[in-house]
Amino acid sequence: MKRLGGVSAELAAVDGRKRLNMDKVMTVVCFVLLLIIVVIPIVMIIFNAFFNEGKLETQMFVEQVTDGKNLEAMWNTLKIALFATIFGTIMGVFYAWLLGRSDIPAKGLMRALFNIPYMFPPFLGAMAWDMMFNGRSGYINKMLRDLFGLTQMPININSVWGIVFVEVSYYFPFVFMQVVSALERMDPTLEESARIAGAKQRQVIWKITLPLVKPAISAGALLILTTSLAHFGVPSILGYAKGIYTLPTRIYAVIYNSGGSFDGIRQGAALSVMLVVVVALALVLQNKILSAGNYDIIKGKSMRPTLIKLRGAKIPLFLLAILTLVLIVIVPLVMIVLVSFLKAYGLPIEFKNFTFAQYEKVFTANGTIAAIRNSLFVSITAGIVCMFLGTLVAYVVQKIRPKGKGALEVISMLPYAIPGTVLSIGVILAWSGRIVGINLYNTIWIILVAYMARYLSFSMKTSSAALLQVHSSLEEAARVCGASHTESLKDITLPLIRPAMVSGFFLIFLPAMREVTTSILLYGPYTRTLGVQIYSLRDAGMIPQAAALATVAIGIIIILNTIVTKITKDRKGV
Amino acid sequence: MANVRFDNITFRYGTNTVLENFSLEVESGKIVCLVGPSGCGKTTLVRALLGLIKPETGSITVGDRVLFDAKKRINVPAEKRNIGIVFQDYAVWPHMTVLENVCYPLKKQRRPKEEIRERAMRALEQVHMTEYARHLPNQLSGGQQQRVAIARALVIDSDLLVMDEPITNLDAKLREEMLLEIRMIQKRLNATILYITHDQQSALQLCDKMAIMQQDGTLCQYGTDEEIILHPANRFTFEFIGVSNFIPLEKVGNTMCLNVGEKIPFPDAVPEEAANGGYEIGVRPNDIVFDPESPLQARVDSRVFLGSEYNYFLSLGSRQIRVQQSMLDARTRGTADEGETVGIRFLNSRCYPAKKEGASA
Repeated sequence: MKRLGGVSAELAAVDGRKRLNMDKVMTVVCFVLLLIIVVIPIVMIIFNAFFNEGKLETQMFVEQVTDGKNLEAMWNTLKIALFATIFGTIMGVFYAWLLGRSDIPAKGLMRALFNIPYMFPPFLGAMAWDMMFNGRSGYINKMLRDLFGLTQMPININSVWGIVFVEVSYYFPFVFMQVVSALERMDPTLEESARIAGAKQRQVIWKITLPLVKPAISAGALLILTTSLAHFGVPSILGYAKGIYTLPTRIYAVIYNSGGSFDGIRQGAALSVMLVVVVALALVLQNKILSAGNYDIIKGKSMRPTLIKLRGAKIPLFLLAILTLVLIVIVPLVMIVLVSFLKAYGLPIEFKNFTFAQYEKVFTANGTIAAIRNSLFVSITAGIVCMFLGTLVAYVVQKIRPKGKGALEVISMLPYAIPGTVLSIGVILAWSGRIVGINLYNTIWIILVAYMARYLSFSMKTSSAALLQVHSSLEEAARVCGASHTESLKDITLPLIRPAMVSGFFLIFLPAMREVTTSILLYGPYTRTLGVQIYSLRDAGMIPQAAALATVAIGIIIILNTIVTKITKDRKGV
Repeated sequence: MANVRFDNITFRYGTNTVLENFSLEVESGKIVCLVGPSGCGKTTLVRALLGLIKPETGSITVGDRVLFDAKKRINVPAEKRNIGIVFQDYAVWPHMTVLENVCYPLKKQRRPKEEIRERAMRALEQVHMTEYARHLPNQLSGGQQQRVAIARALVIDSDLLVMDEPITNLDAKLREEMLLEIRMIQKRLNATILYITHDQQSALQLCDKMAIMQQDGTLCQYGTDEEIILHPANRFTFEFIGVSNFIPLEKVGNTMCLNVGEKIPFPDAVPEEAANGGYEIGVRPNDIVFDPESPLQARVDSRVFLGSEYNYFLSLGSRQIRVQQSMLDARTRGTADEGETVGIRFLNSRCYPAKKEGASA
């Protein structure tokens, strides 16, 4: 055995010299890049939370974790995430069933509309709801108060429940989309046989349909839970003024109040550890629940499900769905657009108070133009870099399968589970001159590095799925036909996964364009992003101008999304 | 000249030994079928030949060209081996047209443009696919994709073609057609074809020579199809090729008897060692004929007409045996009806040690 082992090791040197070396180079490049982008920031957070000037110092950490305000923030975070998950899941499942399995009219249109909240930045929605139902000055609040002669504002959106409401309206599509597609792929004979066996319609829904889509429901629910735990935009817009903090907004406040000093950042790091622990616990919990039921009955090919007749309930349920759409999609949009035309915030929404001045400012102010340019630059660059890097990691994990490929996979998916706020603290700690003198602080590059870490898993996932579809015999056939390893990659594998790479790019580019959570901690005087600019305009009280810029941002997002859909459609047509 | 020699090939996946000191020589200009059950290492052997995996020991030569030699540390990379291959799953590149697929190997050889086109079209002609040259693979049926794969293997004019289960995904009629076509192609090119399959029917139809591989990755027998059918080297070969009946032998007094619940004297000669017990008589269903004179009397349980033959299940004592009667035999001797008792005689029966309980083939 030993002798044989020796022989094969020597042979390795003779065997296709190129292939072995290229695979090795790719593997090493992967590890190094992931180390720089992902591992170093995370290590820096943990290190700085517990160490000061190279010495172990847990006092600060204990202080932070036992601080009353921080504990309250944690409690708020958990409460908001829990209720957002529960209500979001119920709402998502209900509408998924309504659109997937009943004979409700105008399905196609409604499905498209139900996906809008998914691409709409939640913090813009929070802005709109704040304009309407702010506890002191909300437009609709004032209207209702005057109408009914109340002494107080009827609704206060600046509360935990207000935050829950807005988060639900933007996060229920996570469950909705998962469950709709599961319902579509479910074999209809499973339900039909239950009916034939004598079960009533109601029993079929509860005993057959729902249990079968349970994995889809819990996957969507987990997405709501982790997103909500890490969410910054909505609680910061709605809660900040009233002193309602969640962990992510608390981290921001701590750093902001300390003026970006190192102590403030260290405190932020301690809080980050706390937040990460909470998210990790949620993931573990979810894993337990998910593994309890795994069904393989849902097939990959699509079938035509039998639709359930709603009969008398058809019109009321249709109206309910329409009402929901109007409330969560159209009302906030209209509100933002209306406010963007106001001369000043607080003036009644009447035609005589309208002006184009805000848009003029948006398109002439240096800061705004720079913000749009900055966002475009970081989003496109992060999209392109992650598209290639994600594909590289996916290739190494799926095809080369080196030792430690599991670690590689985990490292690249790690930022996905780490809140954006935490990630930016890690990036600050790592790249503001503490490591080999590299100081990116206050430059656009630090935002780019953070985006790359944050979105790498997106492109890796899509490329990974595409690579799994490319059977290894296709590459082998090319090799046998006379192509070297590099040539077979270039001629066969890359062209086959190109569509997935392109969609991976857009999966990164679109959310990066409207990003605020990460960049709000990283921006410098000349490196505001679109999201940051809207946020700070509003913070400075220039609400109509913020609304105008938000309208422009929404316009950009809608245009880009249409282009993406067009591109994807054309590809399917071939 | 393109005889293929595998010499002492050993290959392991981790600790799982797939091939151990495997040797086989495939003669030039023949169709040789490598037959064996799934998972016996056929595909591993092919991948070693193509250079997609590297064996631990041994050598592989094609003609006078050494492709691999562990001792001399020679390992020609896959792209330099110049072997035509048809993969099990076709491996037709879905993003290239039929013509682009077939041109690819020549492009990699950096041939002039006109030559590439001309040779590719000629290869497509050979598999009757010229009118589909501009199609994409997803516009073709499975059989057509198969032909593209064959054309791509033919285009390099290699004198060695390897086909790994190339027709398993086709329907019965197309399969028959493809087998005929493969034979014609071989005649035209006078190439060596190494044809890998687990389906002994198509192997019998196609091959000049057959190599039978056993589950543990060893070579059982190498010979013409007649040799393999008429003189199987061991019980595995006998059982693997075709259907077979097995009846235990037992010595009662001085006569060898078939143990079928009751003991019936067996009229044919058996090897001496069978007297020690633990042996079985093996006989193929089509090697059993009806003979009223025979001492072996069986009852007909069922009869099914299969188009070209009759299939019977008979009870010989407490054992059920299967008999196939050809149409010719049915015409001359007549058929037997259900419930009838008939005499049967075994032609070309074999005597093998019985399988141990629970042991696999």
